[in-house]
Amino acid sequence: MSRGRALTYVVLTVLALLVIVPIAWTALSSFKSPAELAQRPPGLLPESFAPDNYVDALGRFRFWLYLRNSTIVTVLATVLTLLLNAMAAFGLAKYRFRGRGVIFGLILCTLMIPLQIIFIPVYQVAADLGLVNTLWGMIVPTVATPTGVFLLRQYMLKIPDDLIEAARLDGASELRIFTTIILPLCAPALAVLTIFSVVWRWNDFLWPLVIAQDEQTYTLQVALARFAAEEVIPLHLILAMSTLTMLPVIAVFLVMQRHIIRGAVGFTP
Amino acid sequence: MRRRNLAPYLFLAPNLVLFAVFVLYPALNGVNISLYDSTNGRTFRFVGTRNYRELVGTDAFREAITNTAVFVACFVVLATVVAVGLAALLQRGLPGSGFYRAVFFVPVLLSPIVVGLVWSWLLERRGGLVNTALGAVGLPEPGWLIDPSLTMGVSVFVAVWLHVGLYTLIVLAALRAIDPRTLEAATMDGASARQRFWHVTLPQIQPSVLVVVIVSTVDGFKTFDLLYTLTGGGPVGATTLLLQYVYEQAFKPPIRYGLAAAGSVVLFLVILAVTVVQFVVARRRELL
Repeated sequence: MSRGRALTYVVLTVLALLVIVPIAWTALSSFKSPAELAQRPPGLLPESFAPDNYVDALGRFRFWLYLRNSTIVTVLATVLTLLLNAMAAFGLAKYRFRGRGVIFGLILCTLMIPLQIIFIPVYQVAADLGLVNTLWGMIVPTVATPTGVFLLRQYMLKIPDDLIEAARLDGASELRIFTTIILPLCAPALAVLTIFSVVWRWNDFLWPLVIAQDEQTYTLQVALARFAAEEVIPLHLILAMSTLTMLPVIAVFLVMQRHIIRGAVGFTP
Repeated sequence: MRRRNLAPYLFLAPNLVLFAVFVLYPALNGVNISLYDSTNGRTFRFVGTRNYRELVGTDAFREAITNTAVFVACFVVLATVVAVGLAALLQRGLPGSGFYRAVFFVPVLLSPIVVGLVWSWLLERRGGLVNTALGAVGLPEPGWLIDPSLTMGVSVFVAVWLHVGLYTLIVLAALRAIDPRTLEAATMDGASARQRFWHVTLPQIQPSVLVVVIVSTVDGFKTFDLLYTLTGGGPVGATTLLLQYVYEQAFKPPIRYGLAAAGSVVLFLVILAVTVVQFVVARRRELL
C-alpha cells in the first residue's frame, strides 16, 4: 500500500511539474533582458526583477487599446450572456407552452455546433449587418450560448413551483418574479457562468480575429497572435505580454478555486 | 391570464432571435454560400457544386482532412486515457489531492494563443528549455517544431496539456459517485486492484467517459488558436487542420470565399457524423 502511495505521489508530482514549469519559466523569463534570454545555457533566475520588459511592452504597442477592447468585449458579452441565458432558461424551466420541446431540442443540438465551426456563414451575417470591425460584432454572436441556457435551466428546475405560485397570488408580475425570486436563487449558478463566460470571452481568438481587421478593434489575443506570427515583437516583449495575459486568470482562479472546480464539470464549452 | 401565456415567449425571444440569426440561419445558409464563387465575400457567382469538386481535387485540402482525422483521433484517445488515469489517482484521496487537482485545471483557463507561444518557445530547437534539458543529460535534441514527423505528436501533446484538466474533473465527479460498497464487495470476492478497475469502476463511469469523448471530439475539431501560435500549421502544412484551411481560403489572399464555405460545410458534416455515431453507440450500449 505505501509503495502504491509513493508511486501515486511521484506520478502526480511529475505531471504537476509539467504544468507548473512552463508557466513559472515564462513568468521568470519575462524579467530577463534580451541578452540574458540569448544566454546558453539559460540561467534560472533573472538578474533583476525590474519590470523593464513590461514597461517596454506597454509603451511599444497600443497595449491599453487592446486591453480596453478585450475588457469591453468580455464584460458586455458576459453581462448579456447572463441576462439572456437566464431569461431563456426561466422560460424553458418554469412554463408549459407550445413549442417548448422543439425549442429546447434546437438549443441542445447546437451544443455540438460551436461558432468556430460555422464561422464562415456567421461572418457573412455579421458583414451584412455591418458588424465587421466593431466590438459589437465580437460580442453579439457569442451571447446565445446553449451551454449557459442548458445549465441555468437545470438549476432552475430545482426551484419549487410553489414559490412562484405564491408570488403570483400576491400579484407579482412575471418579470418581477424573475428578477426578485429566480435570479437571486440562481446566484451560485450565475456566478459559475460568469467565471466561465469571462474566461471564454477573454481567451476567444478565431472569431475576434475574423471580425477585428483593423488594429482599432484588436483584442489582446488577436494583437498578440498577429504580432507573434509576423515576428515583429522580440522575445522579451512576447514573454512579458504572455505573462500579463496569464496572470490575471491564474490569480482569479486561486481566489475562486473551489467555485470554479465545482462548477467546471457542468460547464464544458 | 393572457399575459402569463405570453410570458415564456417573451423571456425566450431575445435569446431565440440571436440564436436564429447567428446559429440557425448561418448553419443552413453555409450550404447556400458554398454553391457560389467569390473572391471578396461581397459579390457572388453561382457555380453549383464546383467548389466541392475542386476541394476534393486539392492536395492541401486532402492533407488537411488527413491531419484533422489524425489529430482528433490521437487527441481524443490520449486525452480520455490521461483524464481517466489522473482522475483515478486523484480519487485515492491522498493528502494534497486538492492541490494537484487545482494545478491540472489551470491550463484550461489559459489563453490557447499564449499556451502555443510558450510551448513553441520551450520547444525551440536550439536553446529551448526542453532541448537544453535533454542535451544536459546527453540525449539528442530533436527539432520538435521543424521535423514534420514530430510536429503532429507535439501538437497533440500540447492540446492534451491544455484541455485534460477539465476532462479529469468530469471523470473525477463520476468516480466520486460510485457506491463504495460495490468495490468492497469485489475486494471481498478477491478481485485485484486491476480487476476492480476494469470490471467494477470502469462500467460505472462509462457515461462520463463518453461525455469526455464527445466533448474532446468537439474540442479537437475546434482547435485553431493553439496551433496558430504553436506551429502555424507547419512545417509545410504538416499540422494544418481543416479549420485553419477554411480560415485561410476565406481570409488570406487569394480569397476563395465559396471554397471556404464548402470546406466549412464539410467540417460541419464530419462533426455531425462523428457525434451522431457516438450518440448511437451510446444509446445502443444504454449509456445515455
